[in-house]
Order: sequence, then C-alpha cells, then structure tokens
Amino acid sequence: MTASHSQTEALFRGETEAGKLDHVIRAVDVHKVFRMGDSETRALAGVSLDVRRGEYLSIMGPSGSGKSTFFNMVGGLDKPTSGKVYIDQVDIAQLDPYELAWLRCRKVGYIFQTFNLIQVMSCIENVTLPMAFAGMDSEEARDKGLDILQRVGLGDRALHKPAEMSGGQQQRVAIARALANSPDILLADEPTGNLDLKTGEEIINLFSRLRDELGVTVITATHDLKMLKTSDRIVWIEDGLITRVSTPEEMQIEIGEVGGH
Amino acid sequence: MNQSIGTQRTLPLRRAVHIAVSGIRIRIGRSLVTVSGVVLGIAFLMSNLTGQIVKTAVSSERDARHKVDLMMSLVSAEMGPAGGRTLAVAAFGQVSDVERAFLARVVAAGPAAFRALGVAMQGLTPVTADALGDGASLLFVIGDAASAPASIGDLTRGMSARVVLDTVAGRAYAGGAAGPEVRRAPFFGQEAEQQEAEMAAAARQERFRITWIIAVSLMVTVVTVANALLMSVTERFREIGTMKCLGALSSFIRTLFLIESALIGMAGSVLGAITGAAFTLVIYGFTYRFGTVFGSTNYGWLLLAGGGAVVCGTLMAMAAAIYPARVASRMVPADALRSTV
Repeated sequence: MTASHSQTEALFRGETEAGKLDHVIRAVDVHKVFRMGDSETRALAGVSLDVRRGEYLSIMGPSGSGKSTFFNMVGGLDKPTSGKVYIDQVDIAQLDPYELAWLRCRKVGYIFQTFNLIQVMSCIENVTLPMAFAGMDSEEARDKGLDILQRVGLGDRALHKPAEMSGGQQQRVAIARALANSPDILLADEPTGNLDLKTGEEIINLFSRLRDELGVTVITATHDLKMLKTSDRIVWIEDGLITRVSTPEEMQIEIGEVGGH
Repeated sequence: MNQSIGTQRTLPLRRAVHIAVSGIRIRIGRSLVTVSGVVLGIAFLMSNLTGQIVKTAVSSERDARHKVDLMMSLVSAEMGPAGGRTLAVAAFGQVSDVERAFLARVVAAGPAAFRALGVAMQGLTPVTADALGDGASLLFVIGDAASAPASIGDLTRGMSARVVLDTVAGRAYAGGAAGPEVRRAPFFGQEAEQQEAEMAAAARQERFRITWIIAVSLMVTVVTVANALLMSVTERFREIGTMKCLGALSSFIRTLFLIESALIGMAGSVLGAITGAAFTLVIYGFTYRFGTVFGSTNYGWLLLAGGGAVVCGTLMAMAAAIYPARVASRMVPADALRSTV
C-alpha cells in the first residue's frame, strides 16, 4: 500500500524514469473559480502536476470535470485563481499580454477538435500565419511551412483551401500550423473528436511520431481510448481534482478486464 | 523573470490588409450588405452635394441671362433698337461675365460703330479716351465701383446725345456742364438687391435643413455598419480566438477589423458617390434640360465633393468599427478551444 502510494506520488511528479527530469510544465496547487454574478463555480480545486519535456500526456475526464479549464491553464490561455502554473520555468501569472502572446506563439502549439483553420486561407497560409506573428520573413516562412506540410504528409496540398480537404487532412494542417514556430508543447483538445476511427488513429500515430522525431511534449485532452496506448501517462480529472495518474500498461489491464467481464 | 520569454511584436500592416481583404472576399454576401449600408448613406450625401452644385450652376446661369435681358430692355427703352447707331463703352477694373454677355448681345444687335475703352472684345473698336464720345448717342459705363473714376465728364465729350447707362450704382458725375445734360440710368434698382437678399436668406435656411437631414442619415449609416460588424465579430469568435492562440496580439485583431471596415467604407463610398452623383445629374437633366446641366456644372467642385464623400464614408465606417473591434480584441483565446459554439 505504502509502496504503491509513493509510486503514485512519483507518477504525479512525472518521475517514471530515473535521473533529474526537465519539466516543461509545472502546475502547483492550481485553483480556479469562475464567477457569474452571484454564483461561483469551482472548476479546479487544487491540481498539481509536472509534465516532462518530450512526454506524451493524456488528460481524461468527463465534461464539466475541470479538464478543459486545466488544459487552458497549462496552455497559457487562462490564469489560475490561486496556485502557480509554470511553463518552461516561467510563472504565467506574471506575464503581460505581449509576453503571453509571445508564449502562445512560440512555446505552445494548439490543436482543436474542430481544426479551427482559417477558412479564407490556403494550407500554406494557415501554416505560415504563426510564423508571420513571430516576425519571420515570408520567404523563409514559406520554405519552413512547406517543409512542415511535407512532414505531416500534405506536401502536395499546400495551395488547397481547408474546405477542399477531408477532416483528417484538415487536422494535419492544423498540426502543421501548431508546429510552425517549433514549440516545446503541442496542446491538443479532443484532436480525434471529429474524426472517424481510422483517421483518428492516423492522427494519434502522427503525434507519437512527432514526439519521437522532434522531442515535442504532447498534451491531449480526450475521451478517446485509442489515445491511451500511445501516452506515457494518463491523468484523470474529476470534480476539479486529479483522481489518478496511470500508465497505459495499467490501463490495458483494466480495459482488458472490463472487456473480459 | 525567465530570459527566454520575449515580447510579441506587431504584424506588418500589409499582411493585416491581406487577411482583411480575404476576410471580406469569403464573406462576400455579408460584406455586400454592409457595403450597401455605406452606399446608401453616401449616395444620399453625394446626391445632395451634386444637387447643390448643379442648382448653383444652373441658377447662376439663369440669373446672368436674366440680368442681361434686363440690361437689354433698358437699352431699348432709352434709345430704341441699338442697330445702326454709334455706341461707346468705358470699362473700369474687372469686367464681369454678365457685362461681357451684355456687350456681346449689343454687338449682335449691329451698331454702326461700337468704340471701347478698357475692354477688348470682338465687334468693339478700341480707342483712346479723347475719341470715345465722338458722335456716340449712348455710353455704357461698366466695371467695378472701386476702380471707377469720380468723373466721367471727359468721356462724354462730343456725344450726340448724352445718355449714360451705368452698372455701378450710386456714382456721381461731375464736369458734364457743357452741352446737353447727361441723362443717367442705373442698370439695376434697389428692388432687385432686396429680392436677392431675401432669396439668400431662404437658401441659408434650406441649406441648414438639408445639412440636418444628411447628418441624421449618416448617423443611421454608422449605426448600421456598427451593427453589421458586431454580428460579424460574434460570427467569427472562433477565428479570432484561434488567431490569439497562434500569437496574435489584441492590437492586431483590432487593426484587422479597422482595416476591414475601412475597405468596406471606401468601396461603399466610391460606389455611393458615383451612383449619387449620376442619379442626381440625370434627374436635374430631366428638369432643366441635359445641355444646361452638363454644360454649366462645375466638374472640379463635383470631383471635390466626391472625394470628400469618399473620405467621409471611410472615416464613418472606421468610426463604426471602433466598438466591434474592441469587442473582438478583448475576446478570450480559450473560447476558441471550446468545441461547442
């Protein structure tokens, strides 16, 4: 019992591997309260989590669990009511809007369930937009954009508009856009939610490959059990708290048990 | 503070314009509705301005013709038809267009001789002051009051009948003692001046009323455009949030909406100015005859009014965008992550 408890604690700190670990995200006792007039909603009630550099982390939880709030927090999209969130050792609560924009531009790549490509722009324009925000000149951005599109398997679709592509292809473009400024973190919110089984699996494998090739940290919020087996750790959030952190191996057993029942 | 965090810079304007243009193009239906709001407002403004310009031109031409008619009737009252007689004209200072038109009419009547001092025109014989009056039965004195001499006695020397018609009101004559008495008749009476003042007062009142109507219609345009842009912001909250996630500054979002609105305003006001002017010219063409309208309209003024209307429309559209742009720029990027609208 004691042994498993300390093992769980180690999991919370992301110390599944030996040696001193480089934490790209640290959340320390994060609380978040939303106020709407007189009513208060406690979305997060003291969440602590460390995420290793190069880790593939899945956040699971039912809707209304605080999963999305936590997810926004680690992506620098929202600030905690109390507690600290460090992205690359920087307390995001201390950042001004310009620094936050800078962080969102270069440190984090966002991927959405609904792809959120800018419909009026072609693939390459979508991918190079964050580069333009980062101040890169357009020639260089174009070369790099084509390179990234090649990497996600869409080298021949650069001039297509999002509306001319399938869901899986659009999500690949979105991933390419997220990679535009070589971020440390890829933040994906239900990336397979709008995709069929096969395409979803391809996207998951793409994340896995990008993690291996580029060393980027992948954090996904998901319901998709397919996502679990490629993850290094799975974090479960319920009622604003982390209820457990597990490895895919443990999950496999559980799912197996359920399946065998 | 960690050294690795930098400060986001603003995007070049060219890129923002490019994004704004494609934003308008993709939502062409909505954009056209917004544009048409500006078109209507500016067309109304331009049609009023054009009307003013055309009316001024037409009425000043009519006014001039009326004055020349008046002068001619005075001439025939004094001496009967001008044909076959010896006439003289002395001009001092600036000769007005009306006076020139009058002289042309007199020349057209076919006088035996028409001697002139200080004014050159076809049909007039330039002479010196000494020879001017010689044998003439009628002398016209024209030009502005400030340049006119106190005495025209010398000019009337040798005239067969000393009748002087003068456009300068209230001039006193001296030195015409010898020979037949100088009969003097001013061209325009006091009555005309009073009438003119009354008309000017009525015009001022009318101008005020029209200005007020135009102001209200432009305000309505601003509100319409603001409303359309506000809807467009709500429609695009996901796109705006996504851009913020990608590192767009709030100021960039604001700039984007201001540019878009300026472009809409410019397109709408160019279209509005052209349709407003064309419509009004045609309408006045039917009322006053096309020849008169197109011949007498001052196109320089018309162009200036058009330019003014375009600038006005563009600024109005930008003013209308201020509030929607602020709403857009304050949107929270996390909203874009929400999968349900």
